Amino acid sequence: MDNKKIASERKRTFLLMTVPILLLFICFNTVPLIKGVIYSFTNFKGYGTYDWVGFRNYIDLFQDGRVGKSYLFTFKLALLTTIVVNIISLLLALGLNSKIKFKSTLRGLYFIPNILGALVVGYIFNYFFTYILPAVIQMLGGNGTSMLASTRWAWVAIMIVCAWQSIAMNTIIYISGLQTVPEDVYEAGSIDGAYGWIQFKSLTFPLILPFFSINMVLCMKNFLMVFDQIMALTKGGPAQTTESISFLIYNNGMSGGQFGFQSANAVVFFIMIVVISVAQMTITGKKEEQL
Amino acid sequence: MEIKVKERVNWPITILLILGLITVAFPLYLTVVIAFKQPSEMTNSISGILSLPRNWSLANFAEAMRVTDFWNSLFNSVLITAVTVIVSILIHSMIGYAIGRNKANSKFYNFTYLFIVSGMFVPFAILMMPLVKQTAQMGIANIVGVILCYIVFYMPMNVLLYSGYLTNIPIALEEAARVDGASTWKTYWSIIFPIMKPMHATVAVLTALGTWNDVMTPLVIMSGSGVNTLPLAQMTFQTQFGTNYNLAFASYLLALLPILIFYIVCQKQILNGVVNGAVK
Amino acid sequence: MMTSMIFTACGARESEDGKIEIELVQYKPEAVEVFQQLEEEFNSTHDDIRLKIDSPNDAMTILKTRFIREDYPDIIGIGGDINYSYFIDAEILSDVSDYEGLNQIKPAYLEILEGLEFVPTEGTYGIPYVANAAGILYNRDMFEEHGWEIPETWDEFIKLCDDIEKEGIQPLYFGFKDTWTCLAPWNALAVELADADVCKQVNRGETTFTQEYDGVAEKMLELLDYGQDGPFAYGYNDACTAFANGESAMYTIGSYAVPQIKSVNPDMNIDSFVMPAGDTKEDNTLNSGVDLQFCVTKDCKNKEAAYEVIDFLLEHDSVQAYLDNQNAVPCKDEEFKLASEVDGMAEYITEGKMSDYQDHYYPSEMAVDAQIQTFLIEKDVDAFLAKFDKDWLRYNRDIIRMVEEYEAGQGKN
Repeated sequence: MDNKKIASERKRTFLLMTVPILLLFICFNTVPLIKGVIYSFTNFKGYGTYDWVGFRNYIDLFQDGRVGKSYLFTFKLALLTTIVVNIISLLLALGLNSKIKFKSTLRGLYFIPNILGALVVGYIFNYFFTYILPAVIQMLGGNGTSMLASTRWAWVAIMIVCAWQSIAMNTIIYISGLQTVPEDVYEAGSIDGAYGWIQFKSLTFPLILPFFSINMVLCMKNFLMVFDQIMALTKGGPAQTTESISFLIYNNGMSGGQFGFQSANAVVFFIMIVVISVAQMTITGKKEEQL
Repeated sequence: MEIKVKERVNWPITILLILGLITVAFPLYLTVVIAFKQPSEMTNSISGILSLPRNWSLANFAEAMRVTDFWNSLFNSVLITAVTVIVSILIHSMIGYAIGRNKANSKFYNFTYLFIVSGMFVPFAILMMPLVKQTAQMGIANIVGVILCYIVFYMPMNVLLYSGYLTNIPIALEEAARVDGASTWKTYWSIIFPIMKPMHATVAVLTALGTWNDVMTPLVIMSGSGVNTLPLAQMTFQTQFGTNYNLAFASYLLALLPILIFYIVCQKQILNGVVNGAVK
Repeated sequence: MMTSMIFTACGARESEDGKIEIELVQYKPEAVEVFQQLEEEFNSTHDDIRLKIDSPNDAMTILKTRFIREDYPDIIGIGGDINYSYFIDAEILSDVSDYEGLNQIKPAYLEILEGLEFVPTEGTYGIPYVANAAGILYNRDMFEEHGWEIPETWDEFIKLCDDIEKEGIQPLYFGFKDTWTCLAPWNALAVELADADVCKQVNRGETTFTQEYDGVAEKMLELLDYGQDGPFAYGYNDACTAFANGESAMYTIGSYAVPQIKSVNPDMNIDSFVMPAGDTKEDNTLNSGVDLQFCVTKDCKNKEAAYEVIDFLLEHDSVQAYLDNQNAVPCKDEEFKLASEVDGMAEYITEGKMSDYQDHYYPSEMAVDAQIQTFLIEKDVDAFLAKFDKDWLRYNRDIIRMVEEYEAGQGKN
């Protein structure tokens, strides 16, 4: 009898703890998500009246050069930045984890870029790319114009800024991964003659693989949603070559009068994120099992 | 013998790493020197831009504070971040606890768990436009709306963290309290909540860094209302800076300083929090 | 907590002291000072109304975001462009044809506004305040010093640019990093080389942009040769600063840039001339449109008070204050002292040889400015115009359908 009473009290309390918060979540996540899907079937401008247009937005989406370009750009940027960031931060982590002086100070300093706001960092780099870098190139005898003005190089500038900030984060994660590798593994390895690259490839890397996959997932996810850097550096230019998906949705959806159309874009983007995340998790999950 | 091994410092790598710090320091150095200079000191040559200012005048900062309404923006940023972090810790830990204790043997809680955690895949881009309309219709196109949005955006991650952490806390602790006649509610606040302190720190750091630096949410929810956060103010007043980059950089520096100071003070907790959050 | 927030959001129309509050949001951030001054003046002379004027940065995005939130200011100050057409179509604006001040406005500008409606409507939805003109600004002192003449045809203009270059001076400076500045020379060329209603002709299926804009595109490319290296590296602010510092002799932009330029170099002697795109002087027309007009929203609770505000803004002294500050051209039919910077365009204004900016008809989501920027980088006229035509049909699909339905309806009657 007493036990039953306790069980029901427990049940009630748990429900009271869960349901209001769950409702809040539904209100600000699920409901807008559903609304977004609904808007994607209209030609709504965001204000005024609108009509149902069926799948027209989706059909347009796959024929729209600008949207296509923004997907290509975003994926190119995300993929290459992820690779660059992971290579550099792995090297940096190996360095910061070796027997060096001022270890914790150096770690602390290398982390600074990550805590700064991406927008303001973007503005600072904007000045760097517009005025300082061209002047340096000119001084060295080159023909210096701003990278941000070049359709070929603007994305590289964005990549540099993204990398500058996120290397810090990934390095810290790699360091904590390296710390899980016990010293005696290296000692055992050195008996077998495993040094340098071979040691890294056959001993260290497999052991920090979980951290590698965390970093890949984090990076991809962040860079696919890149917005602040674009806003601060190029606003999608030059010649619409650096419009990320989020930027396009914001810019054309809010001020361009394409509320409905960009909702469709957002739905497709959402589906892609889910597919990529699931794929990434199953792939890295399998790899980890194999080892 | 062993002590000797530890003391052998790898100097080449140390020096390389110190040199590498230039990449971190240079943009910050740039910000500081430009922020203190006058437009007349900005010649077209690199040395003109990079040299130290002739006199360290605070005039740019005073002007930047006036233009961007610095103290109000700072206050709003602090308010939004603080409320978001506190409420997140309180309610996310609570639902994390309820889920963590029940998801193994209850379909409802297991579903709730998956439902909330899958919210991590929802990009802000799809919620943005409907949220603008919804917060306006609810009359919260203001700081309240922004805070509520943040609390919900960070819920998936935090629920994942809390319910994961809970598996480390033996249920026997609660049972002991229950024998003493304490209710579940009381047990939670007096026993479980304090035990989860390390996780609270992690959640606080991750949530705070995210909200403090975020631009997009306040931009879409309360732009035009005259209320700014610190990063948003930089965007709003971009045209008023014109080509007076010195003024602009003074403002950027002001926007970066609070979090930098905070980082210097709580560096260890921040690094730990970030690692914990990512690795879990 | 939530309910109290809802109430404060809805009941904000009257301020605490019982005054009627009128909120005006205008889209020209460069005019922020003069509007602040007008706001103060209004509030000190009116006891029953409190006027609040907002001049935010990136105002169109902010206005549209507010419309999405269904949070409408009482009066909006916007340009006569496609956004105005959208707002009429979305039934956000209220009919102001009962406003008495309308008969003081030059009819030419009311016609321009009529022309912007997708399909003709009964009412009038905007009160034109000032116009602007786009062409070429030049450094008067520099021109006098070198004895350069104002060109009247395209060939003369090109020869002038060559002459300036020979003297070792940069003829033009562009701020094409800000894509909208690409539209300034584009519009100035287009009004002379294409029909004023070319967009409507295309909407009716009578012609294509490939036919009509060929010359405009070619001449844009020619202009590019006379600009600085890397025109896409610098924005509007940079270009204004460079022109103000004498780094170029001319600047293809509108009269609205003068205040910005003068803020860098207050003593600069600037004048302007009409873009000479044609073969004879008679071909030239001034590119002029409604730069700022006031529209009352449907949501406005107190139209009388809104009219009173507009009355005040249209008073002689108010208009003159605005003109002095912004070097604009008034839409009110009265004698005003015009800024010397528009001397070169004055004769066109008095003769009424003007046509509206063509980009006022371009849908904003088509991003024609960015398309022009792309074209200037890739320099492929045919590809650019082919894309222009293709995109046009897509982005204007709903408008074209609306026009077709309207005309079919007209045919039946």
